[in-house]
Amino acid sequence: MGKLKRWWPLLLILVGGLLVLGTRYAAPLYRQSIMQVTASRVTEATKTSDEFKNSDKQYTQYLTGRLLNGQRRGHTVHVKNTYSASGAMDEKYSVGEQVFISHTSKNILIKGLKRDTVMLALLWLAVVLLVVMLHRAGLMALLSVALNLVIFFLAIEIDLARRSDGFLWLFGGLALIFAALTLWLILGPTKQMLITFAATVTGTALSIGLSALVLALTHHNGIYYETMAYVTQVAPQPLFLAATLLGSLGAVMDESTDIVATLFELRDDKPTISALELFQAGRQVGTAIMGPLINVLLLIFIAETMPIALLLLKNGNSWGYTFSMTMSLGMAQSLISGIGIVLAIPVVSFLASRLLVTKAGVSK
Amino acid sequence: MSTIMALSLVLLAVMVLVGGRKGALAFLSLWLNFGCLFLAIVLVSLNFSPIMVALILGILMLALIIFVGQDDLMTTQTAFFAAVLVLLILLVLIVPVEHWAAVQGFGMEDSDELEGLSLLVGVNFVKVSIATAVLSTLGAIAEAAMAISAGLSELIQQHPTIETRALFTAGMHVGQQIIGTTFNTLFFGFFGGFLGLFIWFGDLKYSFGELLNNKVLDAELILVLFSLISVILTVPMTTWVMTKRLQISRKKTA
Repeated sequence: MGKLKRWWPLLLILVGGLLVLGTRYAAPLYRQSIMQVTASRVTEATKTSDEFKNSDKQYTQYLTGRLLNGQRRGHTVHVKNTYSASGAMDEKYSVGEQVFISHTSKNILIKGLKRDTVMLALLWLAVVLLVVMLHRAGLMALLSVALNLVIFFLAIEIDLARRSDGFLWLFGGLALIFAALTLWLILGPTKQMLITFAATVTGTALSIGLSALVLALTHHNGIYYETMAYVTQVAPQPLFLAATLLGSLGAVMDESTDIVATLFELRDDKPTISALELFQAGRQVGTAIMGPLINVLLLIFIAETMPIALLLLKNGNSWGYTFSMTMSLGMAQSLISGIGIVLAIPVVSFLASRLLVTKAGVSK
Repeated sequence: MSTIMALSLVLLAVMVLVGGRKGALAFLSLWLNFGCLFLAIVLVSLNFSPIMVALILGILMLALIIFVGQDDLMTTQTAFFAAVLVLLILLVLIVPVEHWAAVQGFGMEDSDELEGLSLLVGVNFVKVSIATAVLSTLGAIAEAAMAISAGLSELIQQHPTIETRALFTAGMHVGQQIIGTTFNTLFFGFFGGFLGLFIWFGDLKYSFGELLNNKVLDAELILVLFSLISVILTVPMTTWVMTKRLQISRKKTA
């Protein structure tokens, strides 16, 4: 057993590494045709400039490749590819890369780069670092993320089957399940978990309710739901609320867990501590971590908009228009999450202080 | 009144009610960070190098998140040094991975959004994707560094004579405590945003192979993985910086 314990990180590194290497030979597993680039010749370069005085360069590239799967496996094919220096929606392919292609009657078109190797390599690196540095806690964190992912996909399947009927209820329910499962995995079935769960749910519900009220009172002024990306069957507004609800849930749990843990420790250190002292201590801990937490979400929500915001600016749009079209939703999301993160502090401190201390003395 | 303004006022009100002066400072730091992000985008649109802009403004944003509203210098300085070091290490990882994965710019799923826009704008979008990755991980790095550093400062205050080896073990222990919840902050933060995208993929019945190689999804997943890796790296890095500081200050007094 002891030997196994020492060797299994090595085993993980080895098996993962083999999997990553294996993707280079995984072409037969795909239904789409894949070719490996064996030669590339760039022939034409044209300078372009648009009405906003942006200059760029466009190239035509002739690729020779070997088919890696399908009936014509091993055959050599020739494909033309055009790409630009900026590469916003195209790219240059180089020798050794594997790319998806599609055959039509006579033409061969490039569909895109095969990215499974790099994705698995990065995932492998994250898992190895996690397990090697943080051992069991790292594994548990991984397990909770994996379980949440499975439930997330299930919920999406249910939503698709119901054609998004009752969308907000479904994802509101999902948030409850997420919170319960995650906290149970981190804290186990303890009183600590119950308090954290209650605070997370109350804080998030308060902030979503309050924000929905603000949105209604201001008539959603300046919130451009139509700019929401990837909207299919769901109305953008419920989708926005559900996304915000899920987005803030993790941060609120993070904070509530920290506060409750500190208050439990304080109570154990000093059993005679009063409820008021505990409440104040909770507020203090919360105040110290709320700022960084809100910034985590802000950066996640806003940094992603960089390419599209840049494109709008480069297309001669004003700062104000660019903000409205690309960042107003992310900013609203950050602010609503922020409200939840802040409101959870008094809620969790109150709950913990009442439940940990009774008037007669310390509860058991 | 615009909704953003109204939501800001509500946030400011609750922050001041709960946190007093510190709450107001946290509110300020939020908007300053947003200002830095916007400035980064504007600078890149003026043809400044995306990576340099992300690095310089990134370090400034780390300072804003870590120093504004916090008083304990031992905690904040350690967290800041460690965060900057992690950022630099991460950059070494981000640059080759973003070149290799080629997930820059936009995918087929973005076509609607791009209608009528000129795509040939002369900005290297691979470099933009590197800048995006750097900026989106900053918050997670700063938060984790603060948590570890605060835990260790408290420990040093309680046990001023603690050995450096014991301190290192303690740092990894704090890391083990925070990693679960920090992962959840990141997981939900990102996956809330994926909701629309996943419904889209499910609706159009993408196969697993298509998903694994999809440019838009991979771009997002790479951001998630970088954030996770940065948090993992922050744990030993912060502990190491704290140990070094302690050794140096002990040498001075000895």
